[in-house]
Amino acid sequence: MKRHTAPIRALATCVLGMSLLTGCAEQSDDTIVVGLSADITTFEPGMISSRDNANIARHIFGALFTLGPDGEHIPELAHTLEISDDGTAYVYTLNQGLTCHDGEALTAEDVAYTFNRIADPANRFTGNTPGFVFSSIGFESAEPLDDLRVQINIAQKNPIAFGLMTEVYVYCKDAYERMSLDEAASNPIGSGAYRLASWTRGSEVVLEKVREPGNFERIVWRIIPEASTRTAELIAGNVDIIANVVPEQVETINESGRASVQVVSGTRRMYVGYNLSAEHAAMPGGDAIQDPDVRRALQYAVDVPTICRQLLSVECERATGLVNPQNANPNLTPYPYDPELAGRLLDEAGWPRGDDGTRFFIRMQAGQGRYVNDVNVVLAIVQYLEDVGLDIELELMEWASVYTPLLRERSMGPLFFLGTGGGLWSPIYDMTDIARVSSGTNYTHWSDSRWFDRWPDMVNTDDLDEQRVIIDEMLEVFYDDGPWLHLYFQPDFYGVSDRIDWTARRDEHVEIFEASLR
Amino acid sequence: MSEVRGDVAVLENPKGSGPQSELRRAARVMVAARWPVFAVIFLTVAAIAATLGSWLAPFDPNRQNLVLRLADPMTAGPDGGVFLLGSDALGRDVFSRLLYGARVSLTVGFAAITVGGTIGIVAGLLSGYFGGWLDDLIMRLGDIQLAFPFILLAIMFLVVLGSGVWNLILVLGVGQWVTYARIVRADTLSLREKEFVEAARAMGDSTLSIIFRTILPNILAPLTVIASFNVASVILSEAALSFLGLGVPPDVPTWGSMLAESRDTLVANKWWLAVFPGVAIMLTVLSFNILGDWLRDFLDPRLRERT
Amino acid sequence: MGAYIVRRLLQSIIVIIGVTLVSFLALQAGGDPTYLFVSERASTEEIEATRRALGFDRPLHEQYLGFVGDLTRGDFGQSLSYRQPAMEIVLDALPATIELTLFAMILALILAIPLGVLAAINRGTAWDGSITTMSMVGQSIPSFWMGIMMILFFGLYIRLFPISGNVPFLKPLLAGDFGVAFSNLPRTLYHLVLPGIAVGTYSLARNTRLVRSSLLEVLEQDYVRTARSKGIAELRVLVHHALRNAWLPVVTIIGLEFGFLLGGVVVVETVFSYPGIGRLLFAAINQRDIPLVQAGVILLASIFIVLNLLVDLVYVRLDPRVKLDGGRG
Repeated sequence: MKRHTAPIRALATCVLGMSLLTGCAEQSDDTIVVGLSADITTFEPGMISSRDNANIARHIFGALFTLGPDGEHIPELAHTLEISDDGTAYVYTLNQGLTCHDGEALTAEDVAYTFNRIADPANRFTGNTPGFVFSSIGFESAEPLDDLRVQINIAQKNPIAFGLMTEVYVYCKDAYERMSLDEAASNPIGSGAYRLASWTRGSEVVLEKVREPGNFERIVWRIIPEASTRTAELIAGNVDIIANVVPEQVETINESGRASVQVVSGTRRMYVGYNLSAEHAAMPGGDAIQDPDVRRALQYAVDVPTICRQLLSVECERATGLVNPQNANPNLTPYPYDPELAGRLLDEAGWPRGDDGTRFFIRMQAGQGRYVNDVNVVLAIVQYLEDVGLDIELELMEWASVYTPLLRERSMGPLFFLGTGGGLWSPIYDMTDIARVSSGTNYTHWSDSRWFDRWPDMVNTDDLDEQRVIIDEMLEVFYDDGPWLHLYFQPDFYGVSDRIDWTARRDEHVEIFEASLR
Repeated sequence: MSEVRGDVAVLENPKGSGPQSELRRAARVMVAARWPVFAVIFLTVAAIAATLGSWLAPFDPNRQNLVLRLADPMTAGPDGGVFLLGSDALGRDVFSRLLYGARVSLTVGFAAITVGGTIGIVAGLLSGYFGGWLDDLIMRLGDIQLAFPFILLAIMFLVVLGSGVWNLILVLGVGQWVTYARIVRADTLSLREKEFVEAARAMGDSTLSIIFRTILPNILAPLTVIASFNVASVILSEAALSFLGLGVPPDVPTWGSMLAESRDTLVANKWWLAVFPGVAIMLTVLSFNILGDWLRDFLDPRLRERT
Repeated sequence: MGAYIVRRLLQSIIVIIGVTLVSFLALQAGGDPTYLFVSERASTEEIEATRRALGFDRPLHEQYLGFVGDLTRGDFGQSLSYRQPAMEIVLDALPATIELTLFAMILALILAIPLGVLAAINRGTAWDGSITTMSMVGQSIPSFWMGIMMILFFGLYIRLFPISGNVPFLKPLLAGDFGVAFSNLPRTLYHLVLPGIAVGTYSLARNTRLVRSSLLEVLEQDYVRTARSKGIAELRVLVHHALRNAWLPVVTIIGLEFGFLLGGVVVVETVFSYPGIGRLLFAAINQRDIPLVQAGVILLASIFIVLNLLVDLVYVRLDPRVKLDGGRG
């Protein structure tokens, strides 16, 4: 694998007549190849729920507005947004002359149709849009006001609804009325820059450009679940961009001379959660974690920077809460690693070491294979906690069918490992996970009134300064007595071929529009 | 004294018969064949590793050393020890894990065979002796099970029952019974009508006694051959299932899960993480295969003599 | 013979029913599958609605009977993750796996016969020794380990073969697109080499030893010994004759081989990111996509059963000494 022989070998291989068959002929100037780690299941906008799926669909469909890499609100299909005073009516004004891929004109009627169709219970859509977006904004209905203006009605004032609505993909009424749900899943007709040219399930998706923006005529998304194979294909030059590079492979890619790794500080909040429900309080160790002093003591037990450095190959700053650093409370400093202090605090909280050296027994649950190096991170955390005297029973489970159901019921625990996606465009978006005690995403059943009582104050005030003060106070409560053992914001690793000029985003969105040849 | 049959002379064994001389004969033949000796030696080493692993291992196989992760073989470890075969992604000693892995892989292998063998032998005996609807039922169940590619069945059950050593043994064991059942059934069928069985029946022995005391001992010999090959294939299956993430939990090292853990770092040239467990699996399986082969050859002429 | 076929068919149907029951029960036994099909942040009402929509609130036996009823009408239900007819998705992935399995099988057979013959004829020599040793080793290597090593070697060190993906040949062929199919063929074969070797090594090794031992057995027999003593030319003729009888057991193996190889492809397809049925089913099982799993399992089992039936019939034709109903003990 020495650099100076690789090109010679490659050339030799080509010369041997293999150009018919593989390898060297793959790269062409008008095609870019992206390697994905998970299969795509559908192109029905109402059913899309995985990040990879959404990333591809993003190129086929347009949205009213979109979010830029730093969280800016950018017009796309619409150019103006007016929000009513009571915050329940959002009026978008569309651009003139929009069309869908089949030539049909895209007007306000189509936008309203899009929203209503996705929300229609008869269609039984279970994707991110009807499930998360519409629930969070309290979507009620959409109606066209005229040819170019459409009104979206939501249940109550919501400061982040505008951002959430950027996740709704727009399509045309006539085309989708004609298709059955089955057909729609594999024949997307959108208004974006690319159209679906072919889809071989489990293997690849090919997009062809039909309008601007985009520097490549074709985008090929290849599905390569095996991490080492993905990296090997990147180094071999068969793939231009790969996501989910395993940290251990970063050096190999950088030394290959054909590609390099971009490490971006992602927005996903990784944490160990304490399940504080009554049911869990009755479990072994569940009573201990009910005490905020115990939780605070444990914050000092885990060496997060070492985990980042050794297992994720990045220097990270430990999180102080659930809000991404640029929007977080600037007065809070991350808990340092101090296992002796942790031990003393646990003693003071009434949990001294017993004769066998442990303080109390507790179970920890985690899914595997979902996050970067998650298994190793979890094992490392368990070791740190055991070193300060906890006796931990670790249950590592398969993610999709075993762990996720527990998440839905909020019954994992008493300790659990999780990462929730966040955003850069508003601290409230990051805090929305714990908007109400009964929120589906309040996995910890946390119920501290100092947080929840202030929520309506924060959401309803129009004075941004006042809002910021409230946010900081709430975040301080979260830092002191919150239900999370703060870890890190998951870094994302993208491998990019040297022939491509592309910058990765921090929010796990992969967009190829701006990519170009060097 | 010797008999003359046709143009070949058959000598009665001058050393007499009985289990002791059987073993001596086995030893003689084995040494002459050479390869089985290596197999036995290797398996003995593996067995020692399995039983005495805790004393032989230089480190705790689960002790992480994040700072010393992915160390090359023969790197110095903490407390003055040496990572003989390097360290893995969490800084755990590969050599220690290999020793502990021997314990799990071999235990799972033998336990699964015991489970499968017991079920299979009993099923085969009942099926062959009683015949009729019982025979049909048992054979049909066997057909249904064999209609599945085994690994899909195993995956389905492990996903549902959850992974864990006992579940693994259960699944692997249940996957083996049909082979035993069929052979036992065929042998039982042919023995059922033989004189000594008739004699036992005439003497008033209970059915159970006939089955287990009269018939069973006479069909055990070929089963050792099957068992040997089976252990080999069970170890391979366990490796595959661990590789797919369905084997034992992560704090229990097995060779298969060590291979699975090595996938992500291979591209980074950490070859020792994949080579050593892979070689361990291969040598163990190879040894059992050699043993099985040799057992079959060893037992064959005896069988021919008897029938 | 006709009665035999009918009996075997009935047997097969019973087995298939058993297969559907087992796969249904296996996946239902793990608890409520509703949660897999709602987005990460759905509300309780959404979850309830989804549960009702997907039919998971009906009692178990109702769900199963409904399923069987649909099967007889050819309806295997909709895949829960793809929202498309399950059998369609399975049939879509099948050609790739068949290509892989056929390739591995052909590889295993084509090489096994000359290797086995070579070993048998030269019994006791270095040729025999090395072939036998390599066969034993070949039967002891975990297929996924071999796959990983090959990916490393051929993907990074010597970039000679592709290490992932496949180029379809069977699919366009079956669709009548002969031009596309045959122009794809070279690249198809190229993509099949590495995974094919990983899948087929075990079979190659076993078949080699089988050919060798069968041939040896036949060569020991009287008529062959007689021929041998008569001279070498006679011997040549008899090797041919011996081979004809020796590959009878190999024929039996072929039918079982396909089924066995199908099982082995799950791991290899995963390692090579090969878009076949093995990988599809593995993912489907993990995601509790029950209709998809059932469609896949039933299809694979049916193929296996039909193959076994064919093999049994061929066996009977080839060797009339075998009794029709005592066939396999």
